This record gives sequence, structure tokens and C-alpha cells, in this order.
Amino acid sequence: MLTFITGGAKCGKSRLAEKLLDGFTDNKYYIATMRPFGEEAFAAIERHRKIRAGKGFETIEKYTDLYELELPGKPHILLECMANLCANEMFRGKELRDPTDIIMQGTEHLKSRAETLVIVTNNVGSDGINYAPETMRYIEVMGRINALIAGISDNVIECVYGIPVILKGKL
Amino acid sequence: MITGGAFQGKTEYMKKRFSLSDDEIADGGSCDISGLAKSRFIKHYELAVKRMMSETIDPLGFTEGLDCEAIEINEIGCGIIPLDKSEREWREMTGRAGCILARKAAEVVRVCCGIPTFIKGEKH
Repeated sequence: MLTFITGGAKCGKSRLAEKLLDGFTDNKYYIATMRPFGEEAFAAIERHRKIRAGKGFETIEKYTDLYELELPGKPHILLECMANLCANEMFRGKELRDPTDIIMQGTEHLKSRAETLVIVTNNVGSDGINYAPETMRYIEVMGRINALIAGISDNVIECVYGIPVILKGKL
Repeated sequence: MITGGAFQGKTEYMKKRFSLSDDEIADGGSCDISGLAKSRFIKHYELAVKRMMSETIDPLGFTEGLDCEAIEINEIGCGIIPLDKSEREWREMTGRAGCILARKAAEVVRVCCGIPTFIKGEKH
């Protein structure tokens, strides 16, 4: 079962994602894709850690190459977040590269192994600002990846100020 | 609570729904914060959050205490994370304040292209 959760900043995506896995206690993993950089990132990580504490997640930090991950049995996985993973894959070398294939390969890989997979992404295309070409490219790629993952998801939820809006499937 | 992106018809919706004229709606971008606490109808609450932050008023505590009939807040959290730290903090604070408003509200209406969608409440 793949549930895909999108929305803007601080809209309650993570809380919802964690809640979806509340019923499971064993074999439960949190895949963190954000490469920590600067004090705000550490503060965000600390805040998310506190929220997750006591919920039985084992945290795995994986910034690129999701397809390499092997977890035992039929795990319950929360992956957060696609927007960071996409940036990590896209800007990892000297040249910009299209991360679509490697990300979809990784997503399919996790989907085929997990009993429950919840992926949190970010809606980065709705502020109407025209950025530098590299950033516009990122927004475009994120839009495409989000649409591709939504396509293979059982459920797609958009979070708006803490309210889950069902775009596909059910909650 | 009425939300959605900029220029989607949120204020028009509020005016029509509650039979209001422009001067009956307090503007979060200009109304003083103590006046806002007494207002029955509020627009641009995201700008009020920004002003509270610059006046060192806690926006989350203020939002918890708000008791109005209808409030409008732009959705500003979608998009690229701003490079400017204060813009980032404003965006995050607005997200948290909006979650409080939505939790307290009986109805949440999201307006897109002039079309209201009930995402919480009876007319859902």
C-alpha cells in the first residue's frame, strides 16, 4: 500500500504520515533524505525527532540511491521527503542531471518490498515566482516526479493547514 | 476559515457569503494587532502573522485566542523554500498559525479560481 502525501511548508504532512503508521509497532522505518546543513536543518530534524519519539521508528539516513536499501521482511516505511531526495540526486555532480529514473527506480524498489509505504513530498510549484533557470528546472522535475509517484500510489493526500484533502484513493 | 492562493476570489467569497462591504473586514496587512483581536471578519491574516513577528507578539498564542466569525489567510507555504531567513520563518509561522485556525474552525473553505471547496465542515 503506497500513500503519497503532498502540501506546502508546515502544513501537517509529517504528522499525518506518522499517524498513518501508528497501528504498527515492529519493522517500522523512517527514511530521512534531508542532508543536514545549517542550524535550521538541525532544528527541523530535532523537532521531527521529538514528534516521532516513542512511535517505534528506526531512522535510516539515505540521501541518494534509494534502490540500494534492503530492509528485512515486509517493512512499514515512512520516507521523508521526496523534495530533498530530488534535490540531492539532481545537484549531486558538477552537471545538473535528470533524477527522474533513479528516483522512480528507488520508489518502485521500496514499494515492492514494503507492506506499507508512506512518502511525503512537497508542492514547490505554486508560489508564482519566476526563479533562476536551475530552480525552474527543479520545479519542473518535481512536478513530473510527483505526478509519476501519484500515478503508482494507492492513495494521494494533499494537506492544507492540517486538513487532509483526498485526491486519490482513501485515508 | 477561508484559504487558497493569492487572487483566487477569497475576499469576494467572504463578502458574498456574509453580505459584507469592504470596510467591514479588518485587513491583517494594516489593522493594528489589538484591533484585529476584536474584529469579526479578518482578511490577509498571513500579513498579520508577519507583523506580529516584527512586533515580537507570539502569533501562535494570538491565533489560539482569536474568536472571530470568518478569517481569510493566504496559502503561502507552497513553492521553493525562500533564501531569506525571515521569509522562511514567516512562511513556517503562517503554516503553523493556519493549522491552528483550521483546527478551531467549524468550516474551512478553499477557494481556487473563484471556486469554493469545503475541505472541512457541513457543506463538504
